[in-house]
Amino acid sequence: MLSIEHLVKRRGSRVVLSDVSLRAEPGRVTGFLGPNGAGKSSTLRILLGLDRATAGTALINGRPYRSLRDPLRTVGSMLDGSGAHRSRRARDHLAWVACSNGIPRRRVDAVLEQVGLAGQGRTRVGRYSLGMGQRLGLAAALLGEPEALVLDEPVNGLDPEGIRWIRGLLRGHADAGGTVLLSSHLMHEVAEVADDLVVIAGGRVVTAGPIGAVTAGYPTLEDAFFELTGADAAGAAR
Amino acid sequence: MSLPRAVAAELRKTATLPAASAAFALGVLGTVAITLINAFGVRDALESGRTDTVAFTSAAETVFSAAPLGTVGAVVLGVVAFGSEYTTTSDGAGGGRQVTATLTAVPRRAAVLAAKAIAVVLLVGAMVAVALPVSLASAHAVIGEAAPGAEDAVGVASRMLGAGLYWALTALIALAVTVLSRNGVIPLIVLIVNGSLVSVSFLLTRVTPLARFLPDLAGMRLFARADLIAVEDALPPVTGGLVMAAWAVGLLAVAAAVLLRRDA
Repeated sequence: MLSIEHLVKRRGSRVVLSDVSLRAEPGRVTGFLGPNGAGKSSTLRILLGLDRATAGTALINGRPYRSLRDPLRTVGSMLDGSGAHRSRRARDHLAWVACSNGIPRRRVDAVLEQVGLAGQGRTRVGRYSLGMGQRLGLAAALLGEPEALVLDEPVNGLDPEGIRWIRGLLRGHADAGGTVLLSSHLMHEVAEVADDLVVIAGGRVVTAGPIGAVTAGYPTLEDAFFELTGADAAGAAR
Repeated sequence: MSLPRAVAAELRKTATLPAASAAFALGVLGTVAITLINAFGVRDALESGRTDTVAFTSAAETVFSAAPLGTVGAVVLGVVAFGSEYTTTSDGAGGGRQVTATLTAVPRRAAVLAAKAIAVVLLVGAMVAVALPVSLASAHAVIGEAAPGAEDAVGVASRMLGAGLYWALTALIALAVTVLSRNGVIPLIVLIVNGSLVSVSFLLTRVTPLARFLPDLAGMRLFARADLIAVEDALPPVTGGLVMAAWAVGLLAVAAAVLLRRDA
């Protein structure tokens, strides 16, 4: 289980997150929804030990990410694309990642196959399209057969077939008892796959709960989203 | 997560980077090439009997006067080992930087830096182990019969180790500076220019004798003969080596402190 409690992040005088709390439970897909700049990535970066919180805690099964032994075997993650150096071959990227966490080499071929890049493993990452980069990022996330997946905007750049594929992948992961936390600013994509929703705007969680409860009283998730985040008002004012 | 695994991962990571292979080739081929140029000069001088036109006549000396070029390869290795973490992946692949993957795989940052440093030293060690013996063999092949008498084998061997140490420490300093700059370009330009074209450190020796303690000059005597260094009163080998090592350790400590505190 992923649990974030009262997270605060300041950068200089700017407050990026103020009192963000959320949970992602095993067996469920939790959608983390909000407009661009709402604080989704900042929250996930703190959860993954990349950035430090000013206050609050972000725990994975009760432990901070930085204290996990072989973290990729517990949490698979993808933030801003593949994270692979562009002049490296995709296979070589996955090979060092596997090596760092004691993951068997055979997993490299297995995940390349799983994300549909089996034929492009020897291609340098710089020659990948956006969608292929996302698939490689997912391959790295799946490498350690982790219990939890934390994905930041995973459908970015994927074609319709890719979006359908990732939806199935995430659903399958949760149905098998895994935890999935995915952020997105694309409501439809989240609505299709999420069991629970956390909506964030301006660094604050504006609502959270099972998707039915969050959208109750609104015709669609989109209506709920704009009402809750005030994004519509901001858009109209512009 | 263990340090040996992190080291293995960093070795694999650096070795599969084309820029690192280029650095390795530069260090090896550059040193051999300069050695050959030196050796042909020495052979011509010996054969024509005009040894006053060259600063030295021994095969080993042709290698040691080429050794500074190997530091360029070491600098590039040290810089790309960390600079590559901050290169943005091409726009086509979703932006992002490798440092995200690195720090999620090995979240203990001190371990990341230690693993990088060990990997860089091992790769520089491999570079030394190829470049210097090949250079020496090439120099002997060129100068051959013309060479004046036998060389002090122990002295040559210890100076080769000294050159290797100098390259390794240079690479570590480059690594530490790159951690601080979070970008490979600036340290690459500054360190290569200072190491090859215009030595700012050397110019500073004209201003203050304290410049002898700058890292690149302090370690010179690890391999260079005192009379062949342009710096007067260069630090003796052991002292100089220790001063240079202190620079490397100090800069790595600062890099570690910054890396631990900074958001990725």
